[in-house]
Amino acid sequence: MKRAFLAVALATRIVTNPNPSAELKQLFPNAATFSALTGDPLHFTAYAVDPKLNASAPPIGYAFWTTDMVPEEHGYHGPIHILVGLDLKGTITGAIVDYDSEPYGYFSVEPPKFAAQFKGKTIRDPFVVGRDVEAVSRASISIASATRAIRDGSRFAASKLLPPEAVK
Amino acid sequence: MPPVGESWRDILAPQAIDLAMLVLFMAVALTSFFLKSKRLKYTSLVFAVGYMGFMKSHLISVVDIFGVIARDLPVVKYNITYYIFGVFVVASTVLWGRLYCGRICAFGALTQLMDAILPSKLRVTVPRTIEQRAAWIKFGLLAFVVVYFIATRNLLVYQYVEPFWMFSLFGTTPMWIGLGVLLVATVFVRNLYCRFLCPVGAMLGVISNLTVFKIKRWSECKTCKICEKTCEWGAIRGPLIVKTECVRCDDCERLYMDQKKCPHWLIQLKVRPSAPKPAPAVPSIQA
Repeated sequence: MKRAFLAVALATRIVTNPNPSAELKQLFPNAATFSALTGDPLHFTAYAVDPKLNASAPPIGYAFWTTDMVPEEHGYHGPIHILVGLDLKGTITGAIVDYDSEPYGYFSVEPPKFAAQFKGKTIRDPFVVGRDVEAVSRASISIASATRAIRDGSRFAASKLLPPEAVK
Repeated sequence: MPPVGESWRDILAPQAIDLAMLVLFMAVALTSFFLKSKRLKYTSLVFAVGYMGFMKSHLISVVDIFGVIARDLPVVKYNITYYIFGVFVVASTVLWGRLYCGRICAFGALTQLMDAILPSKLRVTVPRTIEQRAAWIKFGLLAFVVVYFIATRNLLVYQYVEPFWMFSLFGTTPMWIGLGVLLVATVFVRNLYCRFLCPVGAMLGVISNLTVFKIKRWSECKTCKICEKTCEWGAIRGPLIVKTECVRCDDCERLYMDQKKCPHWLIQLKVRPSAPKPAPAVPSIQA
C-alpha cells in the first residue's frame, strides 16, 4: 500500500509533444523537411532540400527541446519544455514554450510574447532578465528558469552541433 | 561563445537585494514578536502586505506542499531567498507555532489590517461551537488538495483553494469573483480564511504540535476567561491553548503582562499586599 502510494507520488510526468511538426515549421519556415528527433544530444535537423532527393544538401539549422539539453534546469515546479530553433551561425530562429507546470505560468512564460523575444538572439547575447530579457515581477522564478533553459540549451546545443568556427 | 552556465557572482548578484529585504522583513517580524510590541507588529503587517505581497508575491502556497510531495522544487542556487524563507517558516513553526500565519503571510496580514481599519460593529461573532467545527474545514481542504494533486498532478487547483495569487494581480474572472466573495465575508467574520479555510495554515497547524516555546499559562487561567474572550483566533479553550489555531498574535501574552487586568497579578497583590514582587510562575498548562 505504502509502496503504491510512493510510486504514484514519485511518478514522473510524461508531457512531451511527440510530433511537433507545426512548431518546427514555425521555427524554420524555409525548411522543406525535418529529421526525426535523434542524435546525442537529441535534436531535429532542418533541411531546405529533402536529403532523400539530394543527399549532399546541407542542413539549415537545428531544433531541440531545452529539456533534452539542460535536463537539470527546473522552474518553480519542474522543467519548462521549450522548443528552440538554432541556425548554423548560432542565432535563435525562434522559441516555443510547449508545456510547463509553473503555478504562475499563465502570465509569465505561457503568453507567446515571452518566447518571441528570443527570436534573433545569438548564443553570445547576455540573456539577463531585466536587461535584454523582459522581467515579469512576481513570477521571477519561472521567467529566470525559462531564460536559462533557452540560453544554456542553445549554448550547449551549439557546442555539440554547430561547426567550431560558429561557436567561437 | 560564453560558456554554458555562469559564475557564482552571476548567480548571487541578482539575488542580493531580495535576500537583504527578506532578512530585514524577518528581523522586523521577529522583533515585533519578541518585544510583544503592537506598533512593531503593525509595521510588520504593512511590510508583509506591501513588500512580501504586492511587490514579491512571496507567500507559502499549497504549490510548495505539492513541490515537496513531488520532490519538484526550484533549483537551490538560483533561488536562495525561496529556500531561506521556506526554512524560516518551518523552523519558526516548530519553535513558536503558527507565527507565519500571524504576521508573515501577506494575506493574513491583509485581513488583520482590514480588521484594524474596518468598524468593529460590522463584525459578527461566530458562536464557539460553530467556530470549533469550522476550524476543521481547513484540514479537510488540505487533505483534499493533497489527494487531488497526487491523483492528477495538476497544481493549478491552488487557484480555487487559496487567494494568494491576488498579489500577482493576475487572475481569471472566476478567481476574482471568488476573491471578492471571500474579502466581503472577511469584513463580517475576521480572519475567516486563516481560521477556517487555509490549507497551508492547516499544514503549519499540524507542524505546530511540535512547538518548543509555548505560551505560558497561570493556574488562574483555569477559571479566568479574559484571554479566551480576547483571542480573535478562537485558540483558547478554558485553560488550554489550541496550538493548531494559535497564530502567536501576542494578544493574550500582552494581557498576562498587564498587572491591572490579569487576575494572576491581581490575586497575588491582594494576597500579599506587602510583597512588591510577585511569586514565581506556577507550572504552565498547555494543550
